[in-house]
Amino acid sequence: MVNVGDMLVGYATDEDVRKRGASGGLVTAVLAAALEKGLVENVVVMKHINEFEAVPIITDDVDEVLASTGSLHSVPVNLAKYAMGRKVAMPAKPCDAQAVIEQAKRDMIDLDNTYIVGLNCGGSMHPVTTKKMLVAMYDIDPEDVVGEDIEKGKLIFKTKNGEEKAIAIDELEEAGYGRRESCRFCTLKIPVNADLACGNWGVIGDLAGSATFCQVMNDKGVKLLENAIDAGRIKVEPASDKAIAIRAKVNDVMVNLGSTLEEKIFPEIPDEGRIQFYMEQMADCIDCGACKEVCPVCACGEDSKCTMFHSLVDNYKMSMYHMIRLLHLTDSCIACGQCSDVCPSDIPITLLQSRFAIPAQRRREYTPGMNVDDVPPFFEVILK
Amino acid sequence: MAEEGWEPKIVAFCCNWCSYGGADTAGMGRFQQPASTRVIRVMCSGRIDPLHVYNAFLEGADAVLVTGCHIGDCHYVNGNEKTEVKYKFLEEMLQQLGLEPDRLHLNWISASEGERFANFINEVTAKVKELGPSPLKPAGVK
Amino acid sequence: MIGNVYQTVCPGCNMGCGLYIREDEEGALAVDFMKSSPANLGKLCRFGMKLAHHYSKATSMVDGKESSVEDAVKAASDKLKGADVTMLGVGNTTNEESLAFSKVADALGTVVNTGMGVYSELPTECHPTVGVGITLDDIESAKRIALFVDPYVQYPLLVRRILAAKKNGASVVSVGWRDLHLADENKYIDPDMYESELGLDSESVIIADVHPNTDPGWVKRMLNLALKTQAKILFMKPFVNATGVDLLCKGTGQKGIPEIMEGINEGSIKTLVTLDSDPIELMPDSDAAAATLTKLDNLIVISSRYGPVNKMADIVIATEPLYAKAGSFMNVEGQLLNNSGESTTGIDAMSTLAQNLGGEALDYQGLHNNVLESIVQKFTKPNYKELACEVLDIGPMEEKKGNLIYLYNPFMWFDEPDDNDFVMVNMNTVNKLGLGKGAMIALTSDTGTVNMRYRVEDMPDGLILTAKKLPVATGWTTIVSTEAV
Repeated sequence: MVNVGDMLVGYATDEDVRKRGASGGLVTAVLAAALEKGLVENVVVMKHINEFEAVPIITDDVDEVLASTGSLHSVPVNLAKYAMGRKVAMPAKPCDAQAVIEQAKRDMIDLDNTYIVGLNCGGSMHPVTTKKMLVAMYDIDPEDVVGEDIEKGKLIFKTKNGEEKAIAIDELEEAGYGRRESCRFCTLKIPVNADLACGNWGVIGDLAGSATFCQVMNDKGVKLLENAIDAGRIKVEPASDKAIAIRAKVNDVMVNLGSTLEEKIFPEIPDEGRIQFYMEQMADCIDCGACKEVCPVCACGEDSKCTMFHSLVDNYKMSMYHMIRLLHLTDSCIACGQCSDVCPSDIPITLLQSRFAIPAQRRREYTPGMNVDDVPPFFEVILK
Repeated sequence: MAEEGWEPKIVAFCCNWCSYGGADTAGMGRFQQPASTRVIRVMCSGRIDPLHVYNAFLEGADAVLVTGCHIGDCHYVNGNEKTEVKYKFLEEMLQQLGLEPDRLHLNWISASEGERFANFINEVTAKVKELGPSPLKPAGVK
Repeated sequence: MIGNVYQTVCPGCNMGCGLYIREDEEGALAVDFMKSSPANLGKLCRFGMKLAHHYSKATSMVDGKESSVEDAVKAASDKLKGADVTMLGVGNTTNEESLAFSKVADALGTVVNTGMGVYSELPTECHPTVGVGITLDDIESAKRIALFVDPYVQYPLLVRRILAAKKNGASVVSVGWRDLHLADENKYIDPDMYESELGLDSESVIIADVHPNTDPGWVKRMLNLALKTQAKILFMKPFVNATGVDLLCKGTGQKGIPEIMEGINEGSIKTLVTLDSDPIELMPDSDAAAATLTKLDNLIVISSRYGPVNKMADIVIATEPLYAKAGSFMNVEGQLLNNSGESTTGIDAMSTLAQNLGGEALDYQGLHNNVLESIVQKFTKPNYKELACEVLDIGPMEEKKGNLIYLYNPFMWFDEPDDNDFVMVNMNTVNKLGLGKGAMIALTSDTGTVNMRYRVEDMPDGLILTAKKLPVATGWTTIVSTEAV
């Protein structure tokens, strides 16, 4: 019997999945069971291509789910958009879960039929930066990497010949490598907004490295776990108080780190020259529209105000597209970093959006993506 | 800051029922106001979308005024309450962007408040003259 | 999985931007980002973002009637046996298909023309440098960059490389048609002043481009500039596999597309076979090109997508869309990029064609191995080919005489509709013509008139730039008269 609020430690019963999994393969087993027993029709998973590349796929094949096990820190994708219009189960970093909930608030995802297996996340990295970092800081050939892990503030890489090399994340980030910028100031490390919050923080003793800590967040979480237990795919036991405490401590450290780095990442812009700063930042935009396409909280579709009232022929000092997006995302931007990742002019769009969104959200004590019942500030215009 | 004799271009969105009437009354009452304001009539201030305000600035307006009926007097019952909500976000955004706050105003003016309308225009025009041309003004617009 | 996901390369230019094409259950396409892709880090320009609309389906046809690929191949074999054939393959498809095409050429006793006529005007020692330039990473470590292209419009993924170079302390000088935001200096100078005015040295990089309508004299000018200043040079090209095709096919004796069209016009070329190369899309004057093609006895089109030339062809051999092909591409820096697709319809069709014409059967693996041995061996790690030639004699050059200038870009090469339906002029031109807000400019040439919206740019007086093919244009530069409407 599983209950909401349970803190458990578990693993996949299939030895192979358990071994290949990031920490016991519990998430994979839960997703596989959800598909097998018809809880969902499809599962969104990452199809591995190599250590630094994977592509989201939607599958109804249990084998494909099992093959997707293992975490990839260098594949910074947001999975929310792949869940739209289907009854799926999906793994979700905290930002993936936030985006799913924001889409649900705007009726683009049916949350009752979307099962979210949350994953703890200390941050993801960009694959090309990581490859450069391996050569420059670790003296490792990217082709030789067989696995990676983040533990106690260190980024560890494992190579073909069985060796492991660890460097502190601070050191890497000082040198310009490490996590994506949006991950550095993120303070949502445990996906409490998902149905289950899973990760390896709090897995201690004999089980370290081969089991997953799992917190049951809501009724759907209960369903997911019970379903997986019935299917014989997982084994779980209650987590010890010590484990729970350790997990909370690690989270505190990560959250504090995020808050500290926020100051560094957002230096004050003086009022004098402020608008010129924004105009200059956007000046190299080539109008590709990728930032909108990839934005996981954007629910507007192809015909949206930002695209319909913007034209290449306009010779404005700042593009209408950007001005509208800066306003329209104030209540939903989750700073997931996807827009900065895809910008072909390397404009730090996430940072620019956040300069508008974060103060606006904090002023209203509103955090997007946490609970589908939280009403977005813009909805105030409906005047209920 | 601006050249000698520069006149700012001010765009005033006025709702059909109240503030447009107020502009009319200001004219009929022969109240002195500078000729630099362009009035755009909408049926209700609630029709005004932030993107209209952005468009006005990007096309070269030095200031934009959003005007409508007093709260409680809206011809469509609560259209102007929606304006208030939208304006709040718009104002915050433009402030964060770094546009001088004196370039954007919200004012409720009834159809009979001709003098109030004229005074409002005079005040804003004077302030904007001091500020100079808007940083968002495109090339070719004076 | 539900639907399909293909790893592929954008066909917009030879930057080699990697991306995913997703196909859902109903066959609808969507673009997705492949962030580990070396050339572009998953980022895409406007053209790449619109690829879902680009891949139009081709249909096999024989004499205007729909047919099967096999029947089309048989009909083509019959037409080509013993004929005097001209073949055109600019590099809009994979290395393996291009190689298969050249095996068909072998069986016919002819060569594949890459459409880049400039190569035949350059000594062979220059070809490696024109074909494979410096790496994109090398741009970022240059100390000074001279731009002879407009990166924002023509090769947008260059923008971030140049911006990174600037962050590393580089200075950028643009010698183009309009002021560029990322340039520190915008110069509008005569070519004889390039060497003295641009401040280039051995730590500099010149970025130019080469395409079917480039004047060979221009390329020589660029090469001489590189030679004299010791700067490195990168020639961007408009076709995804232009570099691969240049290396696979014979390097010299190649006919340019304008030369081929002339040959058709005067009657010396009667049979033309194209591989994913549409002269109507590629020539600056589409109507004239279409008129020329009617003079052919036989027009055989092998294509992965629908284009205006398909409609005019006697035979169309339709192949699978580019993203689904099993195959590889070589981008401007000599990197081999692979499709994840496995379809070989195009290769199988050309294998049958080759066999029918007396050649040998072809298969994907054999072709791929050939590609690896012949061109990849030479370029396993992108390696700048230092210029090995002497200063070139430019000879008489057709100097640019028009005021309407084509800003070649991926949309233009595919003659694809886009939001860039306006021309660029400067403020003086606007004032001179008395153009008001919302007015249009009427452009008139010998071939007619067109009314266009305009956008104001900082650029020289009197010039009119267009990123869209216009019916009034007769070349990459045309003389037009202007009027406000």
